[in-house]
Amino acid sequence: MVNKEINIRVSREEDANYLFSWLNDPEVLPWFPLDNVREIEDAIRIWLSYREIGAAFTICLNDIPVGMAVIYLHRYKKLRHQSLFAIILDKNFRSQGLGSKLMHHVIEAAKKNFGLEILHLEVYEGNPAKSLYQRLGFKEYGRQDCFLKEKNGIYRNKINMELEL
Amino acid sequence: MKDSENLIDSNDFNIRYTTQSDEPYLKKWLEDPEVAKGFSFALEEERDEFLKIWMGYVRFKCSLTATYKEVPCGIATLFLMPYVKLIHQSMGYLVVDSLFRRKRVGTSLVRNLDHLAKNYFKLERLHFELFGETPLEPLLEKLNYKKLFTQQKYVKEGSSYLPRIVLEKVFKDGQ
Repeated sequence: MVNKEINIRVSREEDANYLFSWLNDPEVLPWFPLDNVREIEDAIRIWLSYREIGAAFTICLNDIPVGMAVIYLHRYKKLRHQSLFAIILDKNFRSQGLGSKLMHHVIEAAKKNFGLEILHLEVYEGNPAKSLYQRLGFKEYGRQDCFLKEKNGIYRNKINMELEL
Repeated sequence: MKDSENLIDSNDFNIRYTTQSDEPYLKKWLEDPEVAKGFSFALEEERDEFLKIWMGYVRFKCSLTATYKEVPCGIATLFLMPYVKLIHQSMGYLVVDSLFRRKRVGTSLVRNLDHLAKNYFKLERLHFELFGETPLEPLLEKLNYKKLFTQQKYVKEGSSYLPRIVLEKVFKDGQ
């Protein structure tokens, strides 16, 4: 990490290409409820729509995007105190503390910018990212067996975790 | 009609696919503040948006309307999942006209929705989400729905919170 400048900014439209390449990776896609290019593009469109309200973030290394996160802020009044979020990191830049840095940024923004009281996430069983969430204090509150079904018939259980801010 | 009358044995009771003409009934039921407590919307524009989403499913023939003397008295709908990996499961939504409660209308709608989910849409799992204590929870449990998890503080009204309770029925276990 020496001589590498890390910065986190609100996502930009042009970050979509990076997000697409990360999601469309056969090693990564199993951890998301997406199956094909049309679904990935749809998910990216929704993800990046949150940049307009400052709720989508990109972490850059020497100005090159290496990860992104989004807080899916609720529009409904009764739900605005809590939110689901998602995060993705370029697989070539894992285990360097970047995911943790981005997560801390998301947690701070959730509290200070959006006044959230609870952040929650969905992670599929077996995803190594779960240990990062646990280190950051997220607690499991429920799971849904067979929530996701791959075309080859493999099921994945969804684990729901939350953090009181 | 008497309270606690078993309406579903009446010849005047029927279950049919929901049609767009049922929208005014659903709108009226969702406008009831007691009903609204069971849903995530709070403001009028949120309710109208939710109604639009709900009625959007009607064209997929995944929504059922209970009628008494041909007048709608309840609606149950599968909110089908749009993504390939999720199409084997769905969330169900139910509302019954307050004048038709405790007459087994809800039970009949859920039973029929289960049938539709399992046999027509080949769903493997069906979920219902409830906010706080509601009579729908014992109804679903009687119909073999099991509580999956409780998400505390999911809903906030003023300074008080309500949990989100998710119940599930498994039609086909993939594990």
